[in-house]
Amino acid sequence: MNPTDTTVGVRALTKRYGSRTALAALDLAAGPGVTGLLGPNGAGKTTLLRCLATTLAPDGGEIRLLGLDPADRAQRTELRRRLGYLPQDPGFYPHFTAFELVDYIAILKEMNDRRARHAEVRRVLAEVDLADRAATKVRKLSGGMKQRLAFAQTLLGDPELLILDEPTVGLDPEQRMRFRALVSRLGEGRTVLLSTHQTEDVAALCERVVVVGGGRAVFTGTPAGLAATAAGQVWLSERPPAGRQLFWRTADGRYRALGERPEGAEPAVPGVEDGYLLLLGDTAAVAA
Amino acid sequence: MNDTGAAPRPSGPAPWHLPADLAGRYAAGRLDPAQTMSVEAHLERCARCRAAIPADAGWLAASWERVADIVDRPRAGVAERLLCRCGVPQHLARLLTATPALSRAWLGSVAAVLAFAVLAGLASTFAVPVGRAGVLLAFLLLAPILPTAGIAAAYGTRVDPGHELQAATPMAGPRLLLLRALAVQVTAVTLTGLCAPFLPGPPGLVAAWVLPSLGLTAAVLALTRLVPVQPAAAGISACWAAAVLVYGGWADDLFAAFRPPAQALYAITALVLLPVLLTRYRRADHWRYR
Ligand SMILES: Nc1ncnc2c1ncn2[C@@H]1O[C@H](COP(=O)(O)OP(=O)(O)OP(=O)(O)O)[C@@H](O)[C@H]1O
Ligand SMILES: [Mg+2]
Repeated sequence: MNPTDTTVGVRALTKRYGSRTALAALDLAAGPGVTGLLGPNGAGKTTLLRCLATTLAPDGGEIRLLGLDPADRAQRTELRRRLGYLPQDPGFYPHFTAFELVDYIAILKEMNDRRARHAEVRRVLAEVDLADRAATKVRKLSGGMKQRLAFAQTLLGDPELLILDEPTVGLDPEQRMRFRALVSRLGEGRTVLLSTHQTEDVAALCERVVVVGGGRAVFTGTPAGLAATAAGQVWLSERPPAGRQLFWRTADGRYRALGERPEGAEPAVPGVEDGYLLLLGDTAAVAA
Repeated sequence: MNDTGAAPRPSGPAPWHLPADLAGRYAAGRLDPAQTMSVEAHLERCARCRAAIPADAGWLAASWERVADIVDRPRAGVAERLLCRCGVPQHLARLLTATPALSRAWLGSVAAVLAFAVLAGLASTFAVPVGRAGVLLAFLLLAPILPTAGIAAAYGTRVDPGHELQAATPMAGPRLLLLRALAVQVTAVTLTGLCAPFLPGPPGLVAAWVLPSLGLTAAVLALTRLVPVQPAAAGISACWAAAVLVYGGWADDLFAAFRPPAQALYAITALVLLPVLLTRYRRADHWRYR
């Protein structure tokens, strides 16, 4: 990547919670477009995204976002004006209406003119298809609607940098498609960083993927590149493989196996998920 | 019924449409009410004439905007309207009154003040002066702690479920904390001031909590540069209580910490710290201690 295109630069980032190391010298570079973070539970994705969203101070390492350094107070405030953040676990005020909640965040984002702010709140609610729920109390929204509401507030003021922690959790298929369409549109010119456990989201949406494991970036590249790491290691067979390797029964009744070729199996086209699983299998083996 | 009222149904044999001059006069608002009603009755059923009415698209969009703004504008509560009436900008009034953590702090203040009032009522029925002195001392000791407790209940991950969502906004940090602290302080001082006259004791002593209250709040805010709000408030409050009791015991006067020499100290603390806080605090670096 051309260094001038880098909007997200992370070097040797570390974060410990007591004696537990959540980030162990993580390096990351990303430019405009959509970058997906994959990784098992506890890998450190949320910790990384919180550090980038300036809600958590790292113990060490360097961060540059949009050319700004969040460790510096003035630059951090400037950065906050230009980013939108969806936490993994957004706390809500249940007695607020959807409109009031987004309006409240908009005030915290220094949108002081009431007329303009309310117009912006209506715009972002419409973007996530919640315009007709503006007057509904948050506690009366369904789980997926709450998730969309939390996403709506990230769009306030059309920020240059979007940090989304598991944004597709709880969305129905139609809303998931809507989300993909919106994020890929936003990805033109803006920088979107999202974490997910959905490898399909990554394949469909992201031009870059970073696999986080054990507090480090263990893979950085394109989704196709991640899939290609599994080339020659994905198999389909009529009978369950005999060895201890990972396999599962697919919808057509055949068995998909990763790793060494089971007896009588034929090669299959690798996907992002295969690459991801094999990669983490390898890291697990290395760590053991 | 006049001529324009004879608008036939569009499904009729010879569809009738608004003549251009009539449409023009309607759009300019130059028809009498009866004519206007007939024209509108026709427009309701005829898309072609609707489209032909000369309309200012910008004006129309702005009108819809105004309608939508009124329809889903959040309802302003009593406190918000009161603040706006007092000249507080609408966004600040909303920020202060809509903050759930803050309303909890306010409720706490009201409860504490009610408790004081009841205690004060009881105290006047005590025949023994020791009981009255005890109530007064408890009041003087607790009144300055009230706002620090309110501030502790108003900011941070531990007490505010929406904190993570707000922490990434430019207002987060010292600006928001200072704003909420001011709101808590003003409320607490007002409420405590209302109940102070009912307490048994000379007026000077009954008002002796005001300066310590300001001093304690200033100290808590200053300490938040080093530790999160809750430990800061707890630490300062504990130090205050210990200092009052120890000094009172040592000086052999229960109220020693509220006599003029000590008051001068609080006044100096508040006078030195508050202006510094108000001008410099916005620029404090809070990243590590939220
Ligand atoms: N507030 C905290 N206090 C203590 N430990 C924490 C805290 N937050 C995270 N951790 C630990 O840090 C590590 C990384 O957690 P993190 O939440 O970043 O993982 P993640 O990749 O987001 O996982 P998931 O996919 O489950 O969301 C885990 O071991 C977790 O237990
Ligand atoms: Mg997470």
